[in-house]
Amino acid sequence: MNLNLAHLHLLINHFPTIGFIVGLGLFAFALIGRSDELKRASLVIFVGIALMTIPTYMTGSAAQEMICVVAQKSPNAPCANPNVSRAVIETHRDAALLALVFMEITGAAAWLGLWQYRRSSRPSNPTLLTVLLLAIVTLAVVSNAANLGGPIRHPEILSGPDAAAATQPAGAQTAGPQTATGVRLGLDSGGLGKFILGVPWMWPVCETLHFIGLSLLMGVVLVIDLRMLGVMRNVSFATLHRLLPWGILGFAVNVLTGMMFFIAAPEQYTQNGAFHWKIAFVLIAGANALYFTMFDETWTLEPGEEAPLTAKFAAVSAFFLWAAIMYCGSMLPFLGNAF
Amino acid sequence: MPLGLTVVLLVFGVTAVVGVVGYLIDRSAARNDRREGR
Repeated sequence: MNLNLAHLHLLINHFPTIGFIVGLGLFAFALIGRSDELKRASLVIFVGIALMTIPTYMTGSAAQEMICVVAQKSPNAPCANPNVSRAVIETHRDAALLALVFMEITGAAAWLGLWQYRRSSRPSNPTLLTVLLLAIVTLAVVSNAANLGGPIRHPEILSGPDAAAATQPAGAQTAGPQTATGVRLGLDSGGLGKFILGVPWMWPVCETLHFIGLSLLMGVVLVIDLRMLGVMRNVSFATLHRLLPWGILGFAVNVLTGMMFFIAAPEQYTQNGAFHWKIAFVLIAGANALYFTMFDETWTLEPGEEAPLTAKFAAVSAFFLWAAIMYCGSMLPFLGNAF
Repeated sequence: MPLGLTVVLLVFGVTAVVGVVGYLIDRSAARNDRREGR
């Protein structure tokens, strides 16, 4: 049995729901017990889950392409396998997109909370309250998306006698549900994709914004990395730390515009090796950004002081990670098969 | 609205929103730094 993106989706699709329940529970305990350490830990969980949700959504699109093969590319064409309902899959996909939007907003607010924690000796209550409210709403929409995903069948992961049973003629087995049960709360991914592809200027606008976001992000990454490696040694890290939100804003623009591309033409990306590497590097770079956001080694760095070896390693790895992300993004048509 | 103007407005509009959000966050950080004597 070869591991494919549908397997990966089944593996990681529990992270957003279960992880968020753990994160929210911990956050509630932290607020009640007034524990700053627990608050910081739960904010890290929110940021981590927000990052993990991106590949969860993307592998979901890949799984959709695998289990619902259609004869012709028509909006209403049913899946070739009569036991798989296109309507159920698309309802789940739309709910997942809404969950992704809320998850990323909550992750951004949680990151802001972590950044403020590092800068201030006391937490910012409005930020924590915003995170709490967003997290409650996010848990509701992500649970709904998970609930709507449950009825979808996954015959592609079966092997041996189970696979034979799944490939029996339609009449010989019980058909899967053909309509989704649950609250149909979601964003119309199909309509959004058509809008991005159908309006001539939408794709170039997203491309331009993607590069503006990248410039913002890479600018901040370079300045911090160079300081860690010994350039501008007369600048304290606390001063550079103030630049981090600009880099994260650039990253947010890139996630937004990148998701627009993905939603418009998911098949260009799901089967693209260069894109798989790009997303893997983005996840590692996210962990790297957390290091510079909240760890002590860099925060205590005064003007004139040399950065510790850990910080230098983090700086070099950040540079290579973002360079690799840019390389994989640029190589989508050449190493992969996009466009 | 002409196509070119729509593109320019959208690109500059989003960039302006990013700029305003970044500025507001930085301003609150500056206020906090002053309070903490940094």
